[in-house]
Amino acid sequence: MMFRVENLHKTFGGLMAVNMVSFALERGEISSIIGPNGAGKTTLFNLLTGHLKPNSGAVYFKDHEITHFSPHRITRSGIGRSFQKTNIFPRLTAFENIQVALMAWKKKTRNIIEKADHFFQKETDEILGSLGLGDQKDRMAGLLAHGDQRLLEIGITLGTYPDLLLLDEPTAGMSPEESQKTMELIQQIVRSKNLTLLFIEHDMNIVFGISEKVRVMHFGSIIAEGTPQEIRANDQVQQIYLAEDE
Amino acid sequence: MIVPIIVLTGLIILPLFIPVGWISLVNEMLILALAACGLNLMLGFAGMVSFGPAGFYAVGAYATALILINTPLPFALAFIAGPLIAAATAIIIGWFCVRLTHVYFALLTLAFAQIIHTIVFEWYSFTKGDNGIVDIPIPSILKSITHYYYFSLIIIVFCLILLWLIIKSPFGKALQAMRENAQRAESIGINVRLYQLSTFVLSGFFLGVAGSLFCGFNKNVFPNYAHWGKSTEMLVVCLLGGIYNFFGPIVGSVVYLFLDKVITGYTQYWPLVLGLIIITLLLFLRGGIAGFIAERLSLRQRKGESDKIA
Amino acid sequence: MNLQGVIIQVLSGISTGMVIFLIAVGLSLVFGTLRILNLAHGALYMLGAYMCYWISSMISQNAGGFWWALLFAPMGVALFGGLVEGLLLRRIYDREHLDQYLLTFALVLVVGDLCKLAWGVEYHLVSAPWPFQGPLFVLGMPFPSYNVFLIGCGPLVFIGLWTLIRYTRLGRVIRAMTYNREMASALGTNVPLVYTVVFMLGCWLAGLGGALVVPTASAMPGMDMIVLIECFIIIVIGGLGSLSGAFLGSLIFGLVNAFGILVAPRLAVAFAFILMIIVLIIRPWGLMGEPE
Repeated sequence: MMFRVENLHKTFGGLMAVNMVSFALERGEISSIIGPNGAGKTTLFNLLTGHLKPNSGAVYFKDHEITHFSPHRITRSGIGRSFQKTNIFPRLTAFENIQVALMAWKKKTRNIIEKADHFFQKETDEILGSLGLGDQKDRMAGLLAHGDQRLLEIGITLGTYPDLLLLDEPTAGMSPEESQKTMELIQQIVRSKNLTLLFIEHDMNIVFGISEKVRVMHFGSIIAEGTPQEIRANDQVQQIYLAEDE
Repeated sequence: MIVPIIVLTGLIILPLFIPVGWISLVNEMLILALAACGLNLMLGFAGMVSFGPAGFYAVGAYATALILINTPLPFALAFIAGPLIAAATAIIIGWFCVRLTHVYFALLTLAFAQIIHTIVFEWYSFTKGDNGIVDIPIPSILKSITHYYYFSLIIIVFCLILLWLIIKSPFGKALQAMRENAQRAESIGINVRLYQLSTFVLSGFFLGVAGSLFCGFNKNVFPNYAHWGKSTEMLVVCLLGGIYNFFGPIVGSVVYLFLDKVITGYTQYWPLVLGLIIITLLLFLRGGIAGFIAERLSLRQRKGESDKIA
Repeated sequence: MNLQGVIIQVLSGISTGMVIFLIAVGLSLVFGTLRILNLAHGALYMLGAYMCYWISSMISQNAGGFWWALLFAPMGVALFGGLVEGLLLRRIYDREHLDQYLLTFALVLVVGDLCKLAWGVEYHLVSAPWPFQGPLFVLGMPFPSYNVFLIGCGPLVFIGLWTLIRYTRLGRVIRAMTYNREMASALGTNVPLVYTVVFMLGCWLAGLGGALVVPTASAMPGMDMIVLIECFIIIVIGGLGSLSGAFLGSLIFGLVNAFGILVAPRLAVAFAFILMIIVLIIRPWGLMGEPE
């Protein structure tokens, strides 16, 4: 088991945000967590990546416990996370956005003497290319189209050579066609680099194309787990989503 | 790259052409430019707004002054001691300050700078209080204005090259990432607090160099070197020139001191004029002067490219 | 120093504290609602002081000159503040903090020189108004009755603001916006109008503080920055955006200052800063504030 979560629990005051959540991920698995807004998905991610401390429970990555690691230690362990709100470096160019992640990863940012321009140029171009952003590499990230910014967001995460990718609503704000293309792109990248992927999504349709396993969260608990077909056929899940539409 | 070389050449041959009083003014501009660039490493590149840079400037100046007055140590040692002691102070003060962000960080830097001011002002037996330390002995070779000018020029150019290297290095990129999005920078593996402390100390070092230089230039030091008025002067200079541009603070200090000298010749209401200039700049010329020029240049470059295509 | 002396010092510290409460609370309120640290707040205080002197000098003391000034000077400052907010501040709300600091600092320069232009650089005094002209005797020692009036003003303003924030619609909106600006705007609040009103209220309070202080200290250049830095100390100690924090912080400041002068007069000015540093290190959100 590459990644294991055991009875992770988080409350805010009286509010139970994540309720005794347990699951495990195998190496190379592409899976997702879905659920209506407020189900606790992002809070769960924040717990996994050290942005929040759990009240109880444990998280294991490659059999090491990482429960109380700080975000930058988590990154160093090989877990990369992207955010629901676009979290890029607006006044840096697309190239610099990814390059800085690579430099930080390879601990080159302690270097205060050499010119940074050519560091990891090949690797940065490669990541930019795989995301289809190669022709925009010298544009300021803040000026990119929203969809490209979301892709850059993922690119920054890839710059830290993660073994496990945690993507929080990677297609947020995109049109259905854009979302489809983006997810296919992500799938391609994940397969070619042999990564493990866990992503949050709240639109079931997007998930079904590429997710091997789906977990459904509701009010902080995982209420169902299975293949996309099983989940689709699950009455309880249908009810939750129908109830949400009302 | 051509422009800085032309400017540098100009600065080197300047004393041949202009009267001594003007050389003194240019020297002052250069020292202020160095201080502002030191501040801008924190301000424009790392995104840390400090209200207290004058504290380190004063530490540098007073360290050099006190060593020259009280010990037989040579000028070179006293001069190097200034920035080193300033950097050491910055380690202590910075350690406390970087645990806070935004307005709390700014207010804490102000508080520490005020403490430095109070210590300098009140510790009469050591620092001579508000009388300041006057008639500081510097080597006779540096006593002439022109000689000190060249001395300053060498030191300042050397420091600016160092600052340039730092900003263009991977460390510099990490600082800018921190400025843009500290949370994201943390999550890609940058230890934000450590990098902020390093920036704080580097900034303090260069501010200390400027302070020591000014000590030798003026041959006097006074407590108001640590006053918030001096800090605001440095902040205004950075804004004037543009904080996201390496040359911004340099342009800013030249324009600021020039305007200061010219306008105080006409009216005692220089603060009013400066205030109006700042408001105009903030509302209409957002990147500062250097930012404005850079934008014009890149617009012309892009137009040139599209003209070629057409 | 005997007991009477100490009590006089305490009273003195409290009256200083109450006046500065009026000024600090305006700064805190503006920060809590607009999220802008208005560096020009001290300049508005100074403007209030000068306007008070000006109006007082035009109306004779027998006709209650000072009291008319106390009525109109803060209004004048509030009006000025409203203009500034509408024309200038509004444009920089979504800009970086540094731009906001620099704009408000530019106002310090402008207002400072405008006051010099209008009223010169000499000190301007106003005598204490009737009925607070003589001293009161506390345990046999004289204490200015005007200062007792000042001590009373503090709680009065506190109660007024408390009522405003607790029980009026504006107060509810202010509270909502202090917690979550986006939510408040989504709920249909006219955010720009609220900003203007709150800013003007802050200016009014600064002007009031300035006007009240003139009989005890004079209106003079430089008073703006001294008070501004004191306000920083207070709202850090008390907590940015907190009404009771500003009150508590002002009291603490007044007392620390008073005792500092007793104990080590030359270092007294540093005591409050040291307290500010300690608070920023241990509990940056202040005694009554909440961590963000």
